[in-house]
Amino acid sequence: MNDMSWTPLGPPQPPPQPVPPPMPVAFSGSRKEFLRLVARGAGLELVTVGFYRFWLTTDIRRHLWSNTLIDGDAPEYTGRGKELLIGFLVALAILLPVYLGYFLIGIEAEHLKAFASLPLVAFFYVFGQFAIYRARRYRLTRTVWRGVRFWMSGSGWIYALNASLWGLLVVITFGLALPWREAALERYKMRHSYYGDLQGSFEGRGWEFFKRGWWLWLLMPFALSSYVFAPFAYAAFKAVEWRWWLSGIRFGEVRLESTLSRGALIGLYWKVIGCILLLVVVFAVYVVLSTLLVASMSGSSIDTFFKTEAFAKSIPLIVLLGIGYLAFALAMNVVMRVYLMRDLWVRVLSSTIVHNIAAAANVTARGDLANALGEGFADGLDVGGF
Amino acid sequence: MASMSADSSDMESDSSATNSAATPDPGGVFFDGLSNRRRIVALKLSDALEIRQGDEQLARWAFHDIRRADSPSGLLRLSCLTAPSLARLEIRDPALIAELVARCATLEADLPNRKGVVAIVGWSVAAAVSIVLVVLFGVPLAAERLTPLVPDSFERRIGDVAEAQVKVLFDGKPCSNAAGQAAFAKLVGKLRESAGFDNSVQSDVLATPMPNAFALPGGKVFLFDGLLEKAENPDEIAGVLAHELGHLRHRDSMRELIHNGGTSFLIGLLFGDVTGSGALIFASRSLVTSSYSRDAETNADTFAIETMHKLGRPAKPMGELMFRVTGKEGGKGFSLISSHPLTEDRLARMDKADAGNKPNGQPLLSSAEWQALKGICGSGKGKV
Repeated sequence: MNDMSWTPLGPPQPPPQPVPPPMPVAFSGSRKEFLRLVARGAGLELVTVGFYRFWLTTDIRRHLWSNTLIDGDAPEYTGRGKELLIGFLVALAILLPVYLGYFLIGIEAEHLKAFASLPLVAFFYVFGQFAIYRARRYRLTRTVWRGVRFWMSGSGWIYALNASLWGLLVVITFGLALPWREAALERYKMRHSYYGDLQGSFEGRGWEFFKRGWWLWLLMPFALSSYVFAPFAYAAFKAVEWRWWLSGIRFGEVRLESTLSRGALIGLYWKVIGCILLLVVVFAVYVVLSTLLVASMSGSSIDTFFKTEAFAKSIPLIVLLGIGYLAFALAMNVVMRVYLMRDLWVRVLSSTIVHNIAAAANVTARGDLANALGEGFADGLDVGGF
Repeated sequence: MASMSADSSDMESDSSATNSAATPDPGGVFFDGLSNRRRIVALKLSDALEIRQGDEQLARWAFHDIRRADSPSGLLRLSCLTAPSLARLEIRDPALIAELVARCATLEADLPNRKGVVAIVGWSVAAAVSIVLVVLFGVPLAAERLTPLVPDSFERRIGDVAEAQVKVLFDGKPCSNAAGQAAFAKLVGKLRESAGFDNSVQSDVLATPMPNAFALPGGKVFLFDGLLEKAENPDEIAGVLAHELGHLRHRDSMRELIHNGGTSFLIGLLFGDVTGSGALIFASRSLVTSSYSRDAETNADTFAIETMHKLGRPAKPMGELMFRVTGKEGGKGFSLISSHPLTEDRLARMDKADAGNKPNGQPLLSSAEWQALKGICGSGKGKV
């Protein structure tokens, strides 16, 4: 199936068939290797009190990018952890006065009326959208395929304004406008995305998304009220969203298509829930055992231990619980990354087909690197993606 | 010679014939970094790596300039320092890979490696230590030095904001029984004079059942009805009010604001993204700030003792009132995370302070005034 990557490119070949067959996208990475990567990363995050996150994020992307085979060739992620760290520090230097200004303006607003400063949160929403755009720009410019990089133009602030106004509309329409919001934002992002001199575009229509997902909107009240039903609804929504999004992506004449079925992600999300429940049970057992241990060591009976509330103030217990909590948090991290990054990536990729890849056979390199400031903001504001 | 390694069997099956014809030498795939054209090239290792297509030499890479780039397993992807930065050469032939790896001494120099990880860990630990030191020593110092620089008018603004929020949060209406108000004003007035405050200090009793009292920046003292209900004589309430005036005198809430803001920011910076760091941040922050506020409480107690003694009244009743509210706190092990000193320690301290200082002043309120104060929130709750 990968013969396309070899035969048409030998110089003396006859011209290829006029319509080349669609090309599936493959993933060659081993799950064990990824697991080892994130487990080691979680440990290092603990040792470095979180600073390792920049390098872990980079390693995860390097792994995912370089194991994805498009037309037989794997892209390359050329970003480095140090860039993310610098972006984060610069973002911090900018955010600090912003937070301070936010605080002072908030005081003035509160002076007029209690809790009048809450709308200022809206400012951070806009800022978060800006960060999302700029972070995407960083990631895209660090993505190289066949010796040519992707890049992005456009303005983060215009995007943020767009996203915020559309966001308002989504709120007003109780979510009904969501498909059109996503379509409009994707159009903006893809129109300003390039692979070399090949310009991207987005052909997904809000209406198509709506047609595939309207029943989910109707089911939303049930999803919100039922813990069992919610994961099904969310998984179906994500699957519909992924499929619609991928099927809308174009680069020049190259066209992507996704065949992801509505139920394709349900198992994945339930596996995550299962793992989390398991971790919670393990953590609970650990808490009970360490409490019993500390109680028996302090010599008092369990009853008096609890009655005197001594358990809330015992140093050994607090230390034991702290360690347990950290281990729990890191294990959660590993679970999330394995299922919701790697497995999700593979599942979505396996449904993706590239049409007319030959249209990207002779692309001229263009575009400059973008800095990681957006990633820094995204980190500081807790928005972000892969 | 086969140009592909064994693991790419799907390619080998149908294209090996054409490829082996096209590349008789051990070859690779070359991207020149200027366009994405995929060129099947022949490779020659002389004193440098020569990349040729047919008779044309496309590039010549010196071995010490060659670097490894990320690639899927089974494939060696190379870049070169002197070539365009995105020029790539991909090789699948294991024998050729082995030979190149042997010749390029600095192949891995630019990739993240173990040494890099050690450096990251080292710097992170250093950063963490310095942040912890700043939190423990720098922030209190900054709070100490910055507080006097904050203009009164600004502090009063913050106080107004906090007041509005407090009234919403605790749903507390100021109590306005006229006789009670008069008694309260008299009590506060005496304390204020004795403590040397001007009359900018505002104070109110709020109809909230919680037994508490606090001071806000800019000179506001609030007493909750719940505490008033538990009090048995005016000295108890006077002591509490004097304690809050002590906070005002030392501008503790302003200092705490700066201190908490700085500490939250730095600790948030430290833990960043470790999932669930919210709880960690909260826990470590309360550890740091509570030790800080214990000092402030002790100082406010000192102030309350002095003020009460100046009025010729004992300080101990305040301790007794608190003891009634909190009960015995000691003997439960560990008090690192509590924001106040142990109640019994405070009581003992006040008792000791009173011992050398016989109370000889007039009662602060007559018994009728005291009854009126107890009933300030009306509704009969204040009845004895």
